[in-house]
Formats: sequence, C-alpha cells, structure tokens
Amino acid sequence: MSGGLVLAALVVWAGGWWMNARLARMRARPGLGLAAPVVFGVTVLLMWELVVRGLNVPGAILPPPSAIGSAFVVNGGTLWEDFVQTFLKGALSGYAIGCGLAFLVALAVDRSGFLKRGLLPIGNFVAALPIIGMAPIFVMWFGFGWQSKAAVVAVMCFFPMLVNTVQGLAAADRMQADLMRTYAASPWQTLAKLKLPAAGPFIFNGLKICTTLALIGAIVAEFFGSPTLGMGFRISTQVGRLALDVVWAVILVAALAGSAFYGLVTLLERAATFWHPSQRGR
Amino acid sequence: MKLLKTLAAASLLATPALAQDDDVTLQLQWVTQAQFAGYYVALENGYYEEEGLDVTIQPGGPDIAPPQVLAGGGADVMLNWMPSALAARERGVPVVNIAQPFKSSGLMLTCWADSGIESPEDFRGKTIGVWFFGNEYPFLSWMSQLGIPTDGGDDGVTVLRQAFNVDPLLQRQADCISTMTYNEYGQVLDAGVGEDELVTFLYEEQGVSTLEDGIYVLEENLEDPAFVDKMVRFVRASMRGWKWAEENPTDAAIIVLDNDATGAQTEAHQIRMMGEIAKLTAGSDGTLDPADYQRTVDTLLAGGSDPVITAEPEGAWTHAITDLALQ
Repeated sequence: MSGGLVLAALVVWAGGWWMNARLARMRARPGLGLAAPVVFGVTVLLMWELVVRGLNVPGAILPPPSAIGSAFVVNGGTLWEDFVQTFLKGALSGYAIGCGLAFLVALAVDRSGFLKRGLLPIGNFVAALPIIGMAPIFVMWFGFGWQSKAAVVAVMCFFPMLVNTVQGLAAADRMQADLMRTYAASPWQTLAKLKLPAAGPFIFNGLKICTTLALIGAIVAEFFGSPTLGMGFRISTQVGRLALDVVWAVILVAALAGSAFYGLVTLLERAATFWHPSQRGR
Repeated sequence: MKLLKTLAAASLLATPALAQDDDVTLQLQWVTQAQFAGYYVALENGYYEEEGLDVTIQPGGPDIAPPQVLAGGGADVMLNWMPSALAARERGVPVVNIAQPFKSSGLMLTCWADSGIESPEDFRGKTIGVWFFGNEYPFLSWMSQLGIPTDGGDDGVTVLRQAFNVDPLLQRQADCISTMTYNEYGQVLDAGVGEDELVTFLYEEQGVSTLEDGIYVLEENLEDPAFVDKMVRFVRASMRGWKWAEENPTDAAIIVLDNDATGAQTEAHQIRMMGEIAKLTAGSDGTLDPADYQRTVDTLLAGGSDPVITAEPEGAWTHAITDLALQ
C-alpha cells in the first residue's frame, strides 16, 4: 500500500480531465483532433501504472503498463512468430477465403431468386453457430495447424459478407436498372457498370466487419488445439504460467494488428468509393 | 440445496471469499470428479462440520488457474500440481504447500504401439500431444533431460497443444498423447482401443514424476494463527475424507456424482476413476515427503531452455499444518 502513488494517480486524472476540457473548448485546428484521444490514453496508462503500484496489485492479477511494455520488447521475436502464425497465416487466409466465397455466392444469389430463398436462411443458420462449437470440430478435420484456424475464420466471415453484398447488389434504383435495360446492356454490363459500384459501400462494410471477426476467430480457435505457437496459444499457456505481462503484450499485438487491418480496409474503401455520398465532404 | 450452493459458488468465482472465522473456500484444479473425492466425502460425511468448518468447494475448469484465484482472494486454499505452484511462486504469487494427499503421480504418455515407439528415445520425429496451462512442465523437463528438442524436425518431437480430450490419438493426429491414469487413459479404452494396441509411459516409472494435487495457501496467511488453526482442521478433515474414499471407492464416487452440478460425469467412469485415484493417495497421510519434493524440484530445474523455475525455491512447503493435524 502506498497512498502517495494513488494520490498521484488522482492528480494525473484531474490534470488529464482539465487538459481535455481545454482542448474541447479550443477552435478546430489541424492536428487538434488527435490531441484529445492521446491525452486520454496517456492519462489512463499513467493512472493504471500508479494505481497498480500504489495498491500493490499482484502481477498475476494486473501487471502495470511498464511491465507489459518490457514484456513486449523482451519477447519481440516470439510475438512476431505468433503474429505470423495467427494473423498472416490463419486470419488473413481465412478472411480471403470467407470473403471471396461470400462475394461469389452473393453474385449468384443476386441473379437467382431460387438461391436467395434457399441460401440466405442457411447463411443465417451458419451465422448462429457458436465458434466454440465449430473450432474443436475443425481442429479434428483440418489438423492442429493454421489451416483449421483459417477454416473457422472463413465460416465466421462468410455470412456477414454475404448479407452485406446481397444487400448492396439490390441497392441500385429500379429506375437506373431500367435505364441500363433501354441501353440493351447485358446482365454482366449492368453488374459491372451499375450494381457493383452501387454496392461498394455495402461490400466494404462487410469487409470491415470481417476484419475484427477474423482476428477474434483465429485467436479463439487456437484455444482448442494448436502447435506450440500462435497468439491464442500464447495467451492460454501464459495465463496458466501466470505470466500476465506476456498475455497483455499479446493483447497489445492483437489490438495493433486489428486496428491496422481495419484502417487499411477503410483506406481502400475511401479510394474505391470516393464518389459515394458517405465519403464526400471528408 | 447443495446444488444451489455449488452453483452459487461457481457464479461467485471472482468475488473475494468472506473472511469469516470458519468459512473455507477450496479451489479445485479441475471440474468436479473423483480426483477430488476426499474433499467431497469430507463435506458430505460431515467431517468439516465436526471440525467447525463451513467449506465451499469451487470446481475449476480448463481456463481457471487456481494460483490466480488464490492471489485474487477468490479462495482461501487451492489444489495444484507442484510445478505450476512453484512457477506461480517464482512469478510473485507466494503459495506454500501445506499438505500432500497424493503420494504418486497419475500422469502418463499413451502412444500407439504401431508407431514403433518402444522407449523414450523413439519419441524423436514423432508428434506428441501435451496439455499446457501449467501441465506442460513435467513433459518439457523430461524431454530436456533426455536431450530431445521439442521444436519438431526429425531429431525432436513435434508438440501439439492438446485440448483435454483424447481425440488427437484416436484421429491419429498425434502418435502419443498425455493422459491421466484415472481419466483419459480410460477414455481411450472406452473408445474401443485395446490395451495391447497401446504403449504407455508413466512419469512415475520414468523417474520424472512431479507431485500432483497438493494443498496450497498463500504464504502471508500462514502468519495468522487463526488461519493456521483453520487449515489444521481443514487438512485433518480432508485426510479423513480421503482415507474413507480409499476404503469405500464406490460410495465415494456416488458422493462425487451427487455434487456434480454439471451432470457431465457418469457413474461407471467415476467409479473407475476413484479406483485409480485410490492408488495415488495410498501411502500418503497428507504429509509432504521432502524427498518427493526434492525430486520434483530437480526434475523442474533440469528444464533446459525454457525452465519452469530458474532457482531452487525457498520455503515452498511446510510441515507446520500436517504436524498439528495428524497428531
């Protein structure tokens, strides 16, 4: 117990509050938009450090950010290998397979009412399957390597992508479709020139939802059997070893990877659908 | 009522135990099963009550690390394998062994006979399923003593992180898997595999066994005479429960079933488990044998590249409780 550190945490909190209140009252200036979240984040980290140290919270319950940072640096090589295994191999390949297949199926569903009525309910059913039910089965089918994780991710991503794309392909106005018809456009031309551009925001919406799902799916699937590397493996084994600083370091990696992945897809969306009302005026 | 109590205990996992004089919360290291028969017998037969204790037994599970529950104040006393407890000690959760009801270890590797494995040297180039979450230490220490790398290749073993089932062996995804004599080994046999199709390696026979299912408390609590007194009574009643369970394995298994809130366990499986558990608790009156402790520590210190513990532990066990409890 050290009251001084806890008191310091309260001072930091008050200071952060005051700074952000001042920032909120300032007139907009370039770079100012980032200042408030940065101040908030730094305040939270400082308070975390001071409170954990001040109250002598055991490292097995909650390590201070400084310990997490040093675990992140010390275990850099291991964390990188885990990242490659879970994110680059498991999550990304599953993401590509799941989203790619969903896109193709959506094109087929859009062309055929029969498929729409038959496939979408099944898609709904698959979406309701809990990951912890599927993961052990996929480990049995596809082995302990990253392939089974990719399969889980593909199944998780498939449905949100399918629904969004089907919705997007139906977004073009009746009037616009009639116009294409008067031009004697073939279905493929209509798709390429009208429907796909109109569906852009919807498709990217599906892609963005799937970035988070892919990372979660790949990590959780590793809890059900894995080789001796991977982010999910690291989290579950290091919790057992009470190395919570390493667990938090993996969580940091997951947060960075997830944010970067989401950000990348958002940038792609801006480049691809710059013409759309939702992207204008930014 | 009992069921409600267990459910309530399970739902209150994260809340600190109420520090009343005679309340004891015990954190098991796995789900309710005959592995913990002694404690359930002591509860059911009123041995705890006779000692003036109100004991709550909290089942564990695949994602519950007992040392963490203890450190967080979620329990007063826990069951743990010694490697995991010593690792926790080195990690700043100073747990102390106050009693050791299990004399021998039930950990073994079960391999397909047709994989050509006859001796530990034959593990090279094979795939072995290992439990992690604190249960990997005995295996890693054993391999490093044999000088077999655990990162795959023709010369080393490929390690799979095995879930707590026997599928990897039955599916032939692994040549060997980790099993407990009293649990998973029986599951393999239940799946229709004959004993002659299997080759088994008991850690106990390989001389690399580590102590399992000891009773641990936080070191700082042992400075409190009231707590020590409570633990003396707890250990005494628990050992009474264990000896009763050894003598009445079938009845003990039924008591465990009655206390299983999940309904996941079957009678036949629990009776067989109790029979195997009785072999492990036989020969211990609850007192830790320092020689067993030393063997455990030596095995772990030989852990090679990724040691479980880096230094000889100090004060990791005490006879203070058992000396008083078993007079």
